[in-house]
Order: sequence, then structure tokens, then C-alpha cells
Amino acid sequence: MSDIILSLERATKLYSGVPAIEDVDFELRRGEIHALVGENGAGKSTLTKVMAGVVTLTTGAMKIDGAASAPGTPLEARQIGVAMVFQENSLVPTMTVAQNLFLGQERFYNRLRGINIAAQQFLQSLNFDVPPTAIVSGLGAAKKQMVEIARAVLHNAKVIIFDEPTAALTPEERKYFFDLVRDLKKRGVSIIFISHALEEALILADRITVLRDGKKIVTDDATRFDRARIVQAMVGRDLSNTLYGVKRTTVRPAGERVLTIQNLKMAPMVKNNSLSVFAGQITGIFGLVGAGRTETFKIVAGVMKRDFFHGGDIILRDKAVRYRVPAPAVKAGVAYVTEDRKVEGFFETTSIARNVYLGLLAKFPGKRALLSRREQSASGADWIKRLNVRAIGNEAKVIELSGGNQQKVVIAKSLIQEPDIIIFDEPTRGVDVGAIVEIHELINRLADEGKAVVVISSYLPEILGLSDRILVSRQGKVVEEFSALDATEEKIMYAAIH
Amino acid sequence: MFGGLRDFALSFLGRGEATLTVPSFDGALKPNQALESAETLLECDAPEDLATDGGKVYLADGASLGRLDGNGMTTIREFDRPITALASLPGGGIAVTLNGREVRVYSDAADATPSATFQGAGMHSINALAPAGDHALYATDGSATRNADEWAWDLMERGRSGRALRLDIKTGGITELAGNLRYAFGACGADGFALISESWRHRLIAVAPNGASKIVLSHLPVYPSRVSPARSGGWWLTAFIARTQLVEFVLREPAYRKRMMAEIDPEYWIVPRLSSGKSFKEPMQGAHLKTMGVVKPWAPPRSYGLVIRLDASFKPMFSLHSRVDGFNHGIVSAVESGDWLYMIAKGPRRVLRLPIEGLAKEFAA
Repeated sequence: MSDIILSLERATKLYSGVPAIEDVDFELRRGEIHALVGENGAGKSTLTKVMAGVVTLTTGAMKIDGAASAPGTPLEARQIGVAMVFQENSLVPTMTVAQNLFLGQERFYNRLRGINIAAQQFLQSLNFDVPPTAIVSGLGAAKKQMVEIARAVLHNAKVIIFDEPTAALTPEERKYFFDLVRDLKKRGVSIIFISHALEEALILADRITVLRDGKKIVTDDATRFDRARIVQAMVGRDLSNTLYGVKRTTVRPAGERVLTIQNLKMAPMVKNNSLSVFAGQITGIFGLVGAGRTETFKIVAGVMKRDFFHGGDIILRDKAVRYRVPAPAVKAGVAYVTEDRKVEGFFETTSIARNVYLGLLAKFPGKRALLSRREQSASGADWIKRLNVRAIGNEAKVIELSGGNQQKVVIAKSLIQEPDIIIFDEPTRGVDVGAIVEIHELINRLADEGKAVVVISSYLPEILGLSDRILVSRQGKVVEEFSALDATEEKIMYAAIH
Repeated sequence: MFGGLRDFALSFLGRGEATLTVPSFDGALKPNQALESAETLLECDAPEDLATDGGKVYLADGASLGRLDGNGMTTIREFDRPITALASLPGGGIAVTLNGREVRVYSDAADATPSATFQGAGMHSINALAPAGDHALYATDGSATRNADEWAWDLMERGRSGRALRLDIKTGGITELAGNLRYAFGACGADGFALISESWRHRLIAVAPNGASKIVLSHLPVYPSRVSPARSGGWWLTAFIARTQLVEFVLREPAYRKRMMAEIDPEYWIVPRLSSGKSFKEPMQGAHLKTMGVVKPWAPPRSYGLVIRLDASFKPMFSLHSRVDGFNHGIVSAVESGDWLYMIAKGPRRVLRLPIEGLAKEFAA
């Protein structure tokens, strides 16, 4: 039996004559974990969609176990042993775990108890601690991921493809996921996974393939890579000095105190939280998941509400404010760029221009009876240019964009409101390194222009690289403040967990 | 009636005027232990105020007026009553306030008789003096009902009888620049304005000669006190205590305050103090907090030490602290002379000094 379970030879896929992947040779070994990395738009998703039968090759060949194969649908791919776990999981949220596992394999007469027992046995065999009778919508991200994996294994998948599997997971869930993947590997399943977190590729993968502009740049053992080599292969230039690499030697001086949060409470997440934000500075907020950072700033932006009784004060430029909905906050110059762009950030089936224009309209609720197509088109084109959004045109739908470009649209939607306080919540989550550099440059530019910028991030190098002052949040309140000049990863992490 | 209903609703919901919140110590007010590392120049009986002409530094210690030299104080003269405020005047003169009620101006610190004396005009607790041009003084009168050392009573009574005064040395006239202040405690001339600390409102105001005032710094997490000019521009603002939610709560409970003041020894009231940790009977020492499953001793600070450096536009640049576990608390005066910043920590009754060079670099936010 050949060591190669899946291969692609000179694989090319054209969309309207434009190559998404071009002459890509790829080999997946039996029982290996293979990481696929590259900037957004590098062709990773297209390559894996070819394997999973979502799209078909324009030219080139695919082989499974040495035999030519060209799955035309995901069902055909599943029948030949290739399953894909998508970033947005494909489970039916209103069904139970067991029903989801056996979806598509129903018989004429289905006994619910039998399905539950079979699912229980199967999940136990995989050592997955998920109750088969639980409704999927009530599960956490990691458990949903487990159900997806279980479904793939149940269908006797020999190859499982994960698209950004850890983007929605907490650090604890991520560790658990790594254990699952290693367990699958022991069972002889071959894994391909796409990730923007390069450390994950380095830790988890046996081999790494780097794609750039639809072409394969390099495939090598993971042990022969380090972060700098991957980044250089991904972007074609050395970004180590611009991306997190440089230790800050100067910080911007604090300007006017524009936002003061005093003893803010929102049970159970925000507990007596107090902090200030100054103009002309980037205030970084670090904390582990559940530290109440997002909730605190969602309250500031009117997305969430503080406690009804003794909920604390939010003082915006010497004036106490209490926003019950986001519109008055937007009008007062507060912009919140969400961490969950797919759910809260944009309307994915509408155009870039429309999304950006909606941001502008949000500043004038009820004040504009007539919409201007010309203004919409002009503002869309303007922001595409200003933020270097890579798209066919301003009428391109947001769903068609890569993660980094989608994030730029979300940012444009907020910046068009000309805010004074901009809150970025995990601004580079699920964004490729090239776009990360651009987003970081934008954030720095905003602070240089005198805006008060807040960056909430769980990624320490990002916090250290961007912030002028760093506030560490733990258990619902800020517990420590560092200047970027004397902050280290160790000090910050110590404050976050002790 | 609607006002009453509104107040009840706000009090019930803990909103508006009735919020029990205090600003945080962050940014330029980020805590450090700078005051704990300051050199202790002198331990005194009752240090109250400092003044400088840029070279010599004068100290009011109880009823004694002295001059700081290398390692101690040289007594210049003794008064029959304690000094509550001190100012050095252009041309070598000095002004003192005795027992908060009488201001005396001496053309020279060693002169036997004063060149001008101010009494009456309702002066009750003059606690700060500052030159206002060549022939005048700014003064703050903390309370019309309480003596200078009874500030805690004034806080608990929610006093609002403080005044900012201008004393004309030539004519002997006293002009009230501002009234109804909630404990005025600190004055300094600033480009024709009088810079006044209003302690119980946690703010600095600039009062024009015609009495018009504007807030120049507010929302402080502390009770500000005396203010003095910094040589390179801007000011040194002292704060004798930090605000806490517990005290804010007590201040909103008139019945509780009334009973506390009637029945409890003032030493053990729930009020800020200039020093703490002397007795187990002190409030705010017995609380605890459960963190990560471990019960830890915890209490809001009863005393604190803080000096804030303000720039020329009254924006805090950095601050010097003595935290709850420190000793140099109750900072009531700070003046800059030569390369040093001299301070009075009234809690431990000390005169401290810190080299100014490097402070901005080390403690800037």
C-alpha cells in the first residue's frame, strides 16, 4: 500500500478565467497531520474544497489511494473517504447530537432510542464527552467541533479536512482539540488543517505546505520551519520586524481622558470594573476568556446593558452616559468593531459598498428618509481604496471576500462614522499575516491622528506590539496596568492569572 | 415633589447623583511606591505646611516656623498658636496663618512684628496661602464651622462653607473670590487666576479676580489639597487621601453618619485618615475577599499618599504614591526647590524629599 493517501497533480482551478490555484502539486501521507498555511486569498480554501468535492478542478488530477478520483459533490467525496469540517459548522442546531450524527443515514423507520444508544457508544469509542441527547445549539464551540469530527469519523473518513478549526475555541478548548486531532492520527486518519495561527501549525503538524497567490511555495517537515520562515514564505517578504517583532522603545503620551468607566457591573461577567481611556493612545486590554473585557466595552457601546441597580458609571468626556442601544453611542463617537464579524459585523450577502454605507446610516437613525445610491457607491469605493480591500469592485458581496478583507469592511463600516473612540475587539482573529500588518498600521495611524483606540486581544504579542498602555483584566475587572515600555509577556500573564 | 421622587428613584437605582463609584487610579495616576522610596529628611511633632522662595524651604511644625537645611530644621520663631498655613512672598517676606483664624505677613521671616495682619471677616480655618502678585495673598478657608484640624467632621457633615479669599497686603482688605466651596484646601496663583483645590468635590478650579470660576481638573480619585508651582511649568498637586466606595456610601447615608458621629470615637469613624493601621478597632480592616477559592484579607484604603504632577494645561503627567501597605501617607504639601521635591507626609509626621530628575521618565504613564 502506498504511503500517499491523497495527491493532487498540477491542480488548477479557474474562476471566470482567474486562477484560484495554479499548477499545485500536493501529497498527503497516511496518518499525517498536514498544515496548510497562506495569506487570505492564497488558495487554501479552494484547494481543500477540491478535495472535499465542493468544487471541481479546471485542469489537473486528484488521486485517492493511487486511484484517479474527481468527486463532484461532498457526498461523493465522503463516499471515497474525504470529509471536511467547515469553519462555520454544518450541524443542525435544533437537532440533538445523535440526530446530527446520523443525518443523511436515516432509515424508513428510525428508533430514537436506538440512534441515541449507537451515538453514545460511538462517541465513547472516540473518548468524546458529549451527551448524545443534547441539543446542538446548547453546546459550546469545542463540543460542536467534536460532533463534526465524530460525524466525519462515523462516515469512515480516511482524510479529514479542518478549515480554521480553532478560531472559535477558547485556549482550553483548543488544547482539547489538539488532543483529539492527535488521537485521530493514531487511528490512522490523515488530517489537513488550515490555520492562521502559525504556532498551531508548528506545534501540531507533521508537515506544512505554504501557498501564496494560488501557487505552492514550499512543503517541508514542520521541524524545519520556524515562524519567520513560514511568514516569509507566505508573504514573500520578511515581516518579523513589523509583525510583533519589535520591542517598544517609545509610547505615545496620553491625551485628554475621553472615557472613564467607574465601578461598572454586569453580573456575572463584569465585576466593579474601572478604567480610563485617553485620546492619542492605544489602550490594550488583555485577559483570558471570561475576563469581562468584551462585555465591558459592549456596555460602553450600547450593545449590552449594565446591571439595573448600582451598575456603575460610564463618563464620556465629563458627561455620564447610559446607552441602551448602540445608535446614541455611535452618534456620540464611540465605534465598536466586533470580535465576531460573521455574526455581528456585516451582512454577508450584501455588497461592500452597502455594508459600509449602513455604517454611515447607523449614525443618523431615523434622520434619513432617502438613501443615495451615488453616496453609497462613492463611500464604498473610497473605503475600499483607503483600507486596501482586495475585491473585484465595491459591489462585490462580503461573503466572497477573504477573512482579512471582511475584517477591513467591518472596520470601514465603523470608521465611516468618524468616531473619536474606536474599540477593536480581537481585530486580527482569523486574519492572515499580510492583512494583520495592514490592520495594525491602520490602528496605529488612528492613534497618531489623536483618536482614543482600545484594542482587546487575547494574543499577547499583538497587545505588546500595538499598545501604549496595557490593562490586564481578570475575573471581570482590570487588575493591573503596564506601560508598553516595561511590560513583558510574563508580567502580563502573571497579572492575568494570579 | 418631582425632584424628591427623582432623588428617591436615583437613590433606589444607584444612578446619577446617587452612584457609589470612584474613578480608578490609572494612566498618569497609576500607583507606584515612589513616596516610600523618598528620603525622610525630618521627623516632626506636627508638620503642617511648606513654602519656598525657590532657594530656602520653610516649614510650619506646630507653632514653630523653621527653615530646612542640610539635615534638619533651624527654628526661626515660635508662635503662641499652631500654624495652619504658610507662604513665602516675593522679596523675602513670609505669611503665616495662626490657628486658621489670623493671617500675619512678615517682610522678613525673622522680623519681630508683622507688616500686616488679617483677622475676622469670617476666617475660621485658613489652610493654605499663596502669593497673588506683589502685594496680595490668596487664601483658602476650608470651613466656616469647623477648625482646620476638624476636616473629617466637615466631610461627614457634607460641608459646603469653604471660601477662596484674596488678602490685599497694602490695604488690609479681604475679598471673597468664591464661596460655598466644599472644603477649599489649597491655593496657587496661575496667570492672574487663583487655582483652588475643592477637596470634597475632587476637583481644581481656576477663579478669576471677578469671581468667575471654571473647572480645570475634575473626576479625581482623591481629595486634593495644597498646590504649588513646578519650576519647569505646571503644578504639584498633593492629595491627602484617596476616595473609596465605602466612604462614598457613608456620605450618602445621613442617618448612619449622624449616629456614627454621635456615638463612635472619631478615631474609629468610617472616614479617610492621614494614617492607619494603629488599632484593630479601625474600620475597613476586618473585611475579606474570596478570590480563586482563597479567602484573602482585604479592605478599602483608609490612608494613602499621593502627589500629582500637572502640566501647564492641568493634565496629570505622572504621580507619586505610597500605597495601602506604605507608611508615607497623608501628603498635604509639596514644594519644589533646587533639584528636590520636598513633601510633608502628615500621617507619619515626616518631611520627605525626592530628587526631581528622572521622576518624569520613571513614572510617566
